[in-house]
Amino acid sequence: MGFHIVKRDSCPLWKKALLYVIAVLAALVLGGVLLLAMGVDPLAYYSRMFTMGMVGNKIAYKAFENYLKVFVPLALTSVALSLAFKMRFWNIGGEGQFIMGSIAAATVALKLGPVLPSAITLILMCLAAMLAAGIYGAFVAVLKVKFGTNETLMTLMLNYVALYVLMFLGDRKADWNFFLQEQSARPVFQSFADLASFPKIMFGKFGLNICVILTFLVGTLVFVYLKYTKHGYEISVVGDSAGTAHYAGMKVNAIVLRTVFLSACLIGLAAAFKVGTAGVLSTAITDDVGWTGIIVAWLSQLNTAVIFVVSALISMLHYGSVAAAATFSKVDSSFANMLQGVILFLVFTAEFFIRFRVVRNKKGGKQ
Amino acid sequence: MPEQYAIEMRGITKTFGSVVANNNINLNLRQGEILSLLGENGSGKTTLMNMLSGIYAPDAGQILVDGKPVTISSPEDSKKLGIGMVHQHFKLVDVFSAADNIWMGREKSGFALKGDRYDEIEAMAKKFGFDLDPRKKVRNMSVSEKQTLEIIKVLYYGAKVIILDEPTAVLTVQEIDKLFAVLRRMKEEGHSIIIITHKLNEVMDISDRVAILRKGEYITTVNTAETNEQELTEWMVGRKIDLNIDRPVVEKTRPLLEIRDLTIKNDEGAVAIDKVNFYIRGGEILGVAGIAGCGQKELCEAIAGLRPIQSGLMIHKGDNIVGLPPKAILEKGISMSFIPEDRLGMGLAPSLSITDNMILKNYAAPKGPFVDRKSGREDAQRVIEELEVVTPSTETPVRRLSGGNVQKVLLGREIKAGPNVIVTAYPVRGLDINSSYAIYDILNQQKQDGVGILFVGEDLDVMLALCDKIMVLCHGRVMGVVHAHKTTKEELGLMMTGALDLTDKYEDKPAGIARDTNITEEQLKSAQEEGEN
Repeated sequence: MGFHIVKRDSCPLWKKALLYVIAVLAALVLGGVLLLAMGVDPLAYYSRMFTMGMVGNKIAYKAFENYLKVFVPLALTSVALSLAFKMRFWNIGGEGQFIMGSIAAATVALKLGPVLPSAITLILMCLAAMLAAGIYGAFVAVLKVKFGTNETLMTLMLNYVALYVLMFLGDRKADWNFFLQEQSARPVFQSFADLASFPKIMFGKFGLNICVILTFLVGTLVFVYLKYTKHGYEISVVGDSAGTAHYAGMKVNAIVLRTVFLSACLIGLAAAFKVGTAGVLSTAITDDVGWTGIIVAWLSQLNTAVIFVVSALISMLHYGSVAAAATFSKVDSSFANMLQGVILFLVFTAEFFIRFRVVRNKKGGKQ
Repeated sequence: MPEQYAIEMRGITKTFGSVVANNNINLNLRQGEILSLLGENGSGKTTLMNMLSGIYAPDAGQILVDGKPVTISSPEDSKKLGIGMVHQHFKLVDVFSAADNIWMGREKSGFALKGDRYDEIEAMAKKFGFDLDPRKKVRNMSVSEKQTLEIIKVLYYGAKVIILDEPTAVLTVQEIDKLFAVLRRMKEEGHSIIIITHKLNEVMDISDRVAILRKGEYITTVNTAETNEQELTEWMVGRKIDLNIDRPVVEKTRPLLEIRDLTIKNDEGAVAIDKVNFYIRGGEILGVAGIAGCGQKELCEAIAGLRPIQSGLMIHKGDNIVGLPPKAILEKGISMSFIPEDRLGMGLAPSLSITDNMILKNYAAPKGPFVDRKSGREDAQRVIEELEVVTPSTETPVRRLSGGNVQKVLLGREIKAGPNVIVTAYPVRGLDINSSYAIYDILNQQKQDGVGILFVGEDLDVMLALCDKIMVLCHGRVMGVVHAHKTTKEELGLMMTGALDLTDKYEDKPAGIARDTNITEEQLKSAQEEGEN
């Protein structure tokens, strides 16, 4: 008696949802086992984590504001990456593009912030960040189109180039280096929070940062762009078969360049949002969104609406683990990364069961 | 005592989701016979054979080898039972030599690769009467050589039962003869062979018995000597079908597309099409015959504007189309559909829906930034109805359709655009009889509507029946243009191999140049000047 695997024709929605829920629950159970081994009560920890320390907290609105600060760059970066992935252009360079965008935005804030009104500074920060990130991404697309280089390797390597540029800027005290505080003897990034900071819309004490609204707006636009426009159609055809796109009279190279530029631009925008709310550069400015965004985009199967849901959950994991670390000092925020990995793994397992089912071999069938 | 079969399959059932690929199939293979397995696309032939070779496991039913019940749950099991399968798509490692491709699957091949494996495999190939260079890399082999290697491989592993899945689909007439000689010799040596093919003349030629499947059901098994093509077709299709291909007589117009002194290079930079002349009139089908890889692909791509040409003229209704982008050529009403060997490579986006594939060539037409899927859906619906495409909906990804339906979608879209010239290469590649005839009907309908058709084909019988004229290519050169009703298969065969050159048959008019040409003196002159520079 053995088993074999059979492809499913279709899988009803409720079953899909159930399988995903089971996958996430199973991941939590596995995490729980680990917590128990460390002598931490998993239930207490999880309730702390998923409420993100908001329950029984007098300044819960503050916690939610901070949660949104984690959510915005991740959601926007994931949406941006999905654009390129849809075209099967493996942009692994979200980190580098984000960093380039951050540096550009900070430059504008520090140089133009003192002379221009804050609103104009913010708009220029966004534009500069988009341009810098866009060019950084499009550079790889140009190489691919002209010389057939591998975009995965190129974008990956450029991540490190960008990171080390940022580290250099954060490390090097010099007259020209306006990124650092002048008065401090140690190299410390200069804050520009009072020069340029994205405004909030106040609901009582809770301030909804305008970046959140803009992120949802951009997400909606990308959704429409991919699904209903000619550009979106071209992206899916090029992604599916470049030969066919060429045959249909599409200018494949131009489409690749345009899409990669746009994808990187949006990552730059995410960087501007981040910099414009943090008010200061840091070598950890990306918060790994360039990496996590790849996971989010794939978990969401490149569906823009789902990307928002998944980034909300992943951000909850990250922000929640930081909040929980305040109570449970034994468990640091790396736990969230581990949990994220386990969830990813199990969701892909669920995917397998959505596509296939396992049946027992039947004997017989004799006449 | 009941007869002991080499292979006996009893009550085999296999389902994929809700699709029943095989339903209660009984099949037996005698010792030392050649059995043809006949059926239309999607009738479950390959699925059934994959259960013998251990790729699938049956949901129900029993398999007996030499009278003993067996369980085949992996290709390894199948190999041990002496069953070998030559798949339609070869399972070879391109960068390995012939010998290494055989060696890597061998039991107890040891840790080290020894030099004597070349000798051993060469000796063994000789024993079976094959001519094989064991050191030759697979990527440098022709299709026929690869197939030979696959056969040697299964023989080397000690197969007593050999299954061949559509082995003749990619071979030329001469190569098929060679293959059949090999099969007959193997049969004499006591091997039992199952061969899957669509071509009825091959079935009649090679097999001892024929087993027929239809839509996953077992129909019957008959002795080849006691049946005929008409009867087999009826069993296979389930109804009477006319095997004659019509060739309606249509009033021809002046040349629509004229090709003069066209020279094209292939991807490797070698000359693929060498100073070719031909023309297509409205209301005629011009066939292009030639051994695979004689420049057919390059020619089609050049006409569609997908490949730059070295020199020559391509005149469409008096206008030069050389150097125009693919889009401009489309807009002139020249449609090109090329069905490559994998059937999906060009012309369709496999992961996209039928609707999205319908709008592929005119998605840019509507004003504004949005695509118009509504009319695309209507077109898809119309093509599905008119060409009887089997699909769950217009939103089904094309790659989920079976081969025949994919090709109908492709041709349907091309015809919907209302072209005046259709260039179609291998439109019936791998299709069963029913779908093939549906495609011939579509082409004839277009011809009657005054469209000029360039039909690049592989089956000479079909081309003789369908085309008005046939141009024969050999290594990129035209060996002549002959009238289909005046020529014979033998003559075409000789021309294809280059043994017969009919380009100068008529002294007053070189082959491929129309008397009532649309090409102006200036065009010709400027092209010649360009050629000299």
